[in-house]
Amino acid sequence: MKMKIAITMRHLFLMLYVSLFVGVLAGILVKLFLHPHAYFWWEEIPVFSAVYGFVGCIIIIVASKALGHHWLQKEEDYYEKH
Amino acid sequence: MIEWFHPGFIYLFGAFLVPLLKGKKRLKQVYILLLPAIAFVNLLLMSKGVLLSEGKTWVLTFLGYELTLGRIDRLSMVFAYVFVIASFCMFLYSLHIKEDWQHVSAFLYIGSTLGVVFAGDLFTLFFFWEIMAWASLFLIWYGKTKSAFGAGFRYIMVHSFGGVCLLAGVLIHLHNGGSLAFESFTWGIGGEYLGVNLIFLAFIINAAVPPLHAWLADAYPEASVTGAVFLTAFTTKSAIYVLIRGFPGVEILIWLGAIMALYGVVFAVLENDIRRLLAYHIISQVGYMVAGVGMGVFGTAAGEMAINGAAAHAFCHILYKAVLFMGMGAVIEVTGRRKLTELGGIYKYMPITFWLYMIGAFSISGFPLFNGFVSKTMIVHASAMWGYPTIWLMLEGASIGTFLHTGLKLPWGVWFARDTPVCEAREPPKNMLAAMGITAFLCTLLGVYPQILYNILPYPVDYVPYAPGHVVAMCQLLLFTFVAFWLLRAMLHGTPTITLDTDWFYRIPGKRVIRFCEGPLMSFANYIDQNVMRMAGFIVWVSRNPFAALRIKGEEVKLKVEKPVITPKKAEEYERGLEEARRRYTKELPRLSLGASILLILLFFLVYLAMYLLTVH
Repeated sequence: MKMKIAITMRHLFLMLYVSLFVGVLAGILVKLFLHPHAYFWWEEIPVFSAVYGFVGCIIIIVASKALGHHWLQKEEDYYEKH
Repeated sequence: MIEWFHPGFIYLFGAFLVPLLKGKKRLKQVYILLLPAIAFVNLLLMSKGVLLSEGKTWVLTFLGYELTLGRIDRLSMVFAYVFVIASFCMFLYSLHIKEDWQHVSAFLYIGSTLGVVFAGDLFTLFFFWEIMAWASLFLIWYGKTKSAFGAGFRYIMVHSFGGVCLLAGVLIHLHNGGSLAFESFTWGIGGEYLGVNLIFLAFIINAAVPPLHAWLADAYPEASVTGAVFLTAFTTKSAIYVLIRGFPGVEILIWLGAIMALYGVVFAVLENDIRRLLAYHIISQVGYMVAGVGMGVFGTAAGEMAINGAAAHAFCHILYKAVLFMGMGAVIEVTGRRKLTELGGIYKYMPITFWLYMIGAFSISGFPLFNGFVSKTMIVHASAMWGYPTIWLMLEGASIGTFLHTGLKLPWGVWFARDTPVCEAREPPKNMLAAMGITAFLCTLLGVYPQILYNILPYPVDYVPYAPGHVVAMCQLLLFTFVAFWLLRAMLHGTPTITLDTDWFYRIPGKRVIRFCEGPLMSFANYIDQNVMRMAGFIVWVSRNPFAALRIKGEEVKLKVEKPVITPKKAEEYERGLEEARRRYTKELPRLSLGASILLILLFFLVYLAMYLLTVH
């Protein structure tokens, strides 16, 4: 059972790597050959969305966690106690 | 020719037959599903022009005003369609519920929402607006817990406030010479816009725009499993409808909407309650629509794109949000648990629910081939057409957060995250699965054939969602969000905490104000009250016989002064005498001679004359 799960996880990761690669490649190809109309300067960068997704996700997690940890998160019976 | 019949009244009148079908289980279930079906046929006939395709109908006269219950155009039709279609799926989901009155409140809730959608004047709007608030309250109270009761109470307080704002706004607007017809208002800041601004305030309370949004995340997760599914669709989306109708192109809405989209995302990171997490994503998604309304300036290509986007996104949002709430509702139904910290590893018991949920999650995240993609990108595209770089980045950023929570963190935490399941689980009842299946199918259908949706939007659509650039950018964004999630997934475990939101202001300081009123303020009032009563009693006592009273009081003072210098025996005698005088006092009425009485009367007249002369001159 353990073995089977390990194999499927490996397959999933392989799929992920392939799709990441294809995504980036497709971005570059679309930029080179189709020249879609860009409204902002950053849309000219072929991998902008990938970088924005990765960095944005990390910022959202870290910033929200910091906000919650230092200020907003309280124990569950907060409203009963106060 | 058959007369037009208001689709909302099919629900409003139909509701009261539900309790009469008590004991006939099958018949009742068929009847509950039949009502939305009839309403849908009604809408189809309207769109084909059989009953009345566009225009105003059901016009009544009330206090000299002309009320329009049926205003039919492309905008009201698109909202009516989605409300009716979604209600069918939702009733299918709640078909196993035995409490008739829960069905009745759902019917009233939906019927009144349709009333809002077809309302052509402000009084009709207000009337249905209030029914909507009260009918939905019972769906929250059917959660039947102490916290549900409290949350429901806070919910109705906020919505009553909103309702009062709406009524006051309408009356002031009319007083200032505004028209009763519900058309787009001239918005501005200043005294002459007070009425319009109050109406605006009422609308954005229902749209859950921060900081007026806390009622949503507070109340929706406390509702019953099936009630919450109804709640997700109608209040906020009817608010979007009235905003499109009343305030298109109001610039402040663009910023409010973009902030809202991110606000929901930030709070969703911190949330442990599975349905509250989704509730924050309602706020986030409604933010896109609010921003769309803000960009919807009449007569411009980008404005029409934005309005189309807002309407389309409301349509799609209702469907995928229903799937998401249905999925989480199913988990709560079979496990009785609602916190991320108490769930995990139950995928093997409920794989069908998981995959149907994931269709909703892919839709809300805006994956290509799902319906979120075809509508959300319209609003983002409109922001690019207007040239708002910050808004564009904020809306795209909110997409990242949406996928992170509803598409990754939540399903991961609920169905996986642990090697061994935390509890027993099973698939939910068949009707729930069927409802999820139908709704998920509609999400994919619209994603694959967006033209069905684009054909019914208010303006002609000049937009190609599946342009290669769009598709690739969206795929990159979401794939790399997944990478970041996978790296940081340890940080995303639920924690047994709650998150403070703006409801803190009425839950803590508000409670303190009440406590202050009940405690110190009440005792102070009592103190004043007692003393005033004592004084009044004394004046009554004196006025019975002022001479005798004065004599008694004089004796009392004399006794107090003399007491230290006279013998105790004499003092006692004195006191007894006083006691006797007090006892006799009430019986001893003053005996005035006739002359004295006449003198008093004359004095009275004199005072009266003086007063008269003083006031006249």
